[in-house]
Amino acid sequence: MAAEKTLKLEKNSLHQDNLLRIENLTKIYDGSVKAVDDVSLTVAKGEIFGLLGSSGCGKSTLLRMLAGFEVPTNGKIFLAGEDITNLPPYQRPINMMFQSYALFPHLSVWDNIAFGLRRDGMAKEKIMERVESLLKLVQLGKFAKRKPHQLSGGQQQRVALARSLAKQPKLLLLDEPLGALDKKLRESTQLELVNIIEEVGVTCVLVTHDQEEAMTISSRIAVMSEGSFLQVGTPDEIYETPNSRLIADFIGNVNIFEGVVDEDLPDHVTVKCPECTHYVGHGITGSSGMSVGVAVRPEKILLSKTKPKGKYNWCEGEVTDIAYFGAHTTYHLKLMTGMILKVQQQNRTRNLEGGFTWGDRAFAQWDDLAMIVLTH
Amino acid sequence: MTNTFGRSWMIAVYLFLYIPIITLVVFSFNGSPLVTVWSEFTLKWYGKLAQDREIIAGVILSLKLAFLSGMLSVLFGTFTAFALVRYRFRGHTLLSSMANMPLVMPDVLVGLSLLLMLVSLQRWLGYPERGLLTILLGHAFLGTAYAAVVVVSRLREMDSKLEEAAMDLGCKPFQVFTLVTFPLIVPALVSAFLLTFTLSFDDVVLSAFLSGPGSTTLPLVIFSRARLGLSPSINAVAAVTIAVVSIAVIVSSIYQSRAEKQRMREIAQAYNDGNQ
Ligand SMILES: Nc1ncnc2c1ncn2[C@@H]1O[C@H](COP(=O)(O)OP(=O)(O)OP(=O)(O)O)[C@@H](O)[C@H]1O
Ligand SMILES: [Mg+2]
Repeated sequence: MAAEKTLKLEKNSLHQDNLLRIENLTKIYDGSVKAVDDVSLTVAKGEIFGLLGSSGCGKSTLLRMLAGFEVPTNGKIFLAGEDITNLPPYQRPINMMFQSYALFPHLSVWDNIAFGLRRDGMAKEKIMERVESLLKLVQLGKFAKRKPHQLSGGQQQRVALARSLAKQPKLLLLDEPLGALDKKLRESTQLELVNIIEEVGVTCVLVTHDQEEAMTISSRIAVMSEGSFLQVGTPDEIYETPNSRLIADFIGNVNIFEGVVDEDLPDHVTVKCPECTHYVGHGITGSSGMSVGVAVRPEKILLSKTKPKGKYNWCEGEVTDIAYFGAHTTYHLKLMTGMILKVQQQNRTRNLEGGFTWGDRAFAQWDDLAMIVLTH
Repeated sequence: MTNTFGRSWMIAVYLFLYIPIITLVVFSFNGSPLVTVWSEFTLKWYGKLAQDREIIAGVILSLKLAFLSGMLSVLFGTFTAFALVRYRFRGHTLLSSMANMPLVMPDVLVGLSLLLMLVSLQRWLGYPERGLLTILLGHAFLGTAYAAVVVVSRLREMDSKLEEAAMDLGCKPFQVFTLVTFPLIVPALVSAFLLTFTLSFDDVVLSAFLSGPGSTTLPLVIFSRARLGLSPSINAVAAVTIAVVSIAVIVSSIYQSRAEKQRMREIAQAYNDGNQ
């Protein structure tokens, strides 16, 4: 009885926390191009939800349906429990920050930010107050009178952010918010963006094709491919337990061994590959004789000059490439089968004594919990 | 070597373009009634012009026509451009190339076909008489095509995301136009107006087909006088026409270069501020 009650309570609160709910959303262009294919999703209040995927996978289309610029071919969109599928963009309590910012070139920074507030017929003093506080928030106070073309890329980005926050939307959509900035600026802006969003406390759906950006900014990520979601989860879930080769490969660096399940026991499995035999310290959903991929991330591999003990989870090769990154070094190890194994080692000492040079023979080994067995 | 060649080539082209016009203007100040022999400087032909009822009526009519047809062309041209750029529909490609048709069709054909249409209209409806209205229709017809080309290219280069952003921030479609699209295409509308204005002001062919008694535009007056024999007074009229057209062109280029300079100044200012 009590258990039932708490369950019910949980369900209720869950329902309330769901700000955005998408049901079976589909968009077909010109009768044949399936840009978004039967996508369902819920986003909780206060969440920063990342949509990650390669170019052309339908991220922007999904976002544009949320904003109201595209009419879904099928499916429904609910915001705070209300069906907004057929509302025009100007009636949705949603604002968007555009990829190229889309700042109005004929208006000053101040007027750009005030634009949405004026459409709502807000009182003059109120607008004043709100714009001033937004300018302060994005630290652009002294640029208020400038036109967008008189600003640097980073400043324009902040104006766009301020403008999209001005109306205090229930949901903020960001299409590649940092896409137009150069690498160095991106990193600092990323933190700034998260700080501002968290300060305002707005729920966000963010589109990016940069996986690092998605991992740092988002609380949850959906990885998209060809219009549908491959996996939805927190950044570490997606990184540590990808559910397919595609995701393992897409998120971060990975070595994938192709092999066949040999022993299949509840507490461990062994996978025979041409390069070596893997001993995986947990059970998998599969059966012996099944062909699988075993993924090992480069940073989970240890390189040594002495032959490891035991017969599992190690292989031997020749160092063919070394890339020094300061904090770590990436080695390419050519195995007997011709497979190139990527290995990443922390540079623990200053003089790289005991390190490897080109042509060295080396042994790579890894822990029996370091692997991911991919059945798809 | 190539540099001198290039320069002399350029000079030759400009001379070729401008010598006839300069000669024409110079000889409008010639005291002798013979068009080819210079005697002394005089303004008497201009004085005569001022008393020439036909010419004054022609100038007034032409200015009126040019203004009205410029306005109409910009209006219709903008509608056309919007339809072509913003909406996708069946037969879009065909229609968009058809909109450019009047630009490449010989004026004579356009004039002739319009005349035929108007004549049969008049036979059925008893309206319109050939006159100001019919010429205006013809000029606006041609001008719309020109204006549409100018506005289409401006709309194409304008980021449609701007209109979406406006809608996103709460603008209804009409507000999107008045608050964002219109201010951004104003320069194109001004150039389109000046272009269609001059197009109408110096048109002979369409006017010849479509004019009626009492609606002789300035170029028609010049044309008919010239056929009676050259006289310095025609030079004077032509000089006046050139002046009007040049003013339109100069105004438009000053307008554009001012806008450009303003932009450069602002950018420079921003740059200086940034370096402080
Ligand atoms: N207006 C349209 N008409 C027809 N097809 C379209 C239209 N817009 C997008 N598409 C197609 O839909 C698919 C998804 O496009 P979308 O713009 O959503 O991709 P994306 O994930 O945002 O890619 P990118 O990272 O390059 O921005 C693509 O195959 C694209 O060609
Ligand atoms: Mg996109």
